[in-house]
Amino acid sequence: MAMRQTPLTCSGHTRPVVDLAFSGITPYGYFLISACKDGKPMLRQGDTGDWIGTFLGHKGAVWGATLNKEATKAATAAADFTAKVWDAVTGDETLTLAHKHIVKTVHFTQDSIYLLTGGNDKVLRVFDLSKPEADPQEFTGHTSAIKKALWCNSDKQILSAADDKTVRLWDRNTMEVLKTLSFDVSVSSMEYIPDGEILVITYGKTIAFYNALSLELIKTVDAPASIHSASLHPEKDFFVAGGDDFKLYKYDYSTKEELESYKGHFGPVHCVRFSPDGELYASGSEDGTLRLWQTAVGKTYGLWKCVLPEELVSENSDTLYCNTPEIKA
Amino acid sequence: MKTPVPVLRLPRGPDHPDSRGFDPSSPRFQALRSTRGGAAAAAAGLPELREEQQARSLLRQRYLRSLLAMRDAQVRFRMYERVHVEARFGASDIDVLNFQVSDLQTPIGVQKEALLRCPDMISYSLEL
Repeated sequence: MAMRQTPLTCSGHTRPVVDLAFSGITPYGYFLISACKDGKPMLRQGDTGDWIGTFLGHKGAVWGATLNKEATKAATAAADFTAKVWDAVTGDETLTLAHKHIVKTVHFTQDSIYLLTGGNDKVLRVFDLSKPEADPQEFTGHTSAIKKALWCNSDKQILSAADDKTVRLWDRNTMEVLKTLSFDVSVSSMEYIPDGEILVITYGKTIAFYNALSLELIKTVDAPASIHSASLHPEKDFFVAGGDDFKLYKYDYSTKEELESYKGHFGPVHCVRFSPDGELYASGSEDGTLRLWQTAVGKTYGLWKCVLPEELVSENSDTLYCNTPEIKA
Repeated sequence: MKTPVPVLRLPRGPDHPDSRGFDPSSPRFQALRSTRGGAAAAAAGLPELREEQQARSLLRQRYLRSLLAMRDAQVRFRMYERVHVEARFGASDIDVLNFQVSDLQTPIGVQKEALLRCPDMISYSLEL
């Protein structure tokens, strides 16, 4: 059932937005980084979408981008065969990590000391950022390009998804593959929720939820179109998904019921993520824009301002007071 | 039935296509830049001055917070002419020229409400 909401459209990129990530909640709010094929990843204020800065330096499409929890560091993965680490406060490039092929994914450990990278050379690498000259730890095994790699289980393990249609769970110290999930098609996206140890995987038209420790399947939900990315709400009551049909879908996690769907993007949705406070979700599209969507439509938050019908005709300048309407469908 | 909410304004975009951003005057930049490397300081042109200004700003903030923490505390004031008085601190004025105090204990009795002139003070102390 299609519903209406006013998304916040963030312009600035000139090519498709292929990845996005939120930071944790910091004393200055939370932040959002977007990876774009134009080679210029951008940092934005998470709750408003306001542009803060652009990380200039990559010489090719940026395929992956991430922020550390405190939003003090950023990392990007690009088609110029490098992963770069940036100071997310000043915008300065702090480190360039050379690879042998296109880099697709980057992820910081909780302490921001180690960076995990993966890409088209099929090798996972762990860089110690305090010793940038040292060789990275290399994890081999995938037989095709790696699309996404994440730290999990308190950074003791690594999860990786590749075009070889597998998702693998690795032990960080022994470097062995502990478990493998095999699919009929390539996995399009992966999200890890540490609180609750849930893994969200999308492939074809399916959004699948797994226990991140055992890799046991919890449930699957099928969408009307091919899905490129999905995200589970921090409170685990909703999840959102987007893909080929340009729409954003919102589902009830417990009942698997489709609650809302929104048109807005002019191209396939490549990535979608909930903000750390769950109040909004951001989507990146082939159309070159990022859009911010409200989780609870009708609430006053960020740039969205609830206006009661009486106030639209009111002439006085009293402070606007808004009752938050019932949010569940 | 949920109604779409109007939007105050659109998110701000880059000033121009090749703009770098990361405004050095933003609160976050100012607060966190002390942990940043030499690059930012050198770019400022006068590193010692920036450092001193940084220190001043930190000390001022600390002082203002100490005034807040003093509220309702018993404070002992050492004033000129060998005057020692004790009172319950209320507030300071904006220029820190006067302190509003209550139950000021003086040699000639307890003053319920009083204003102490800061230029008259040598020092003051309290227990946290």
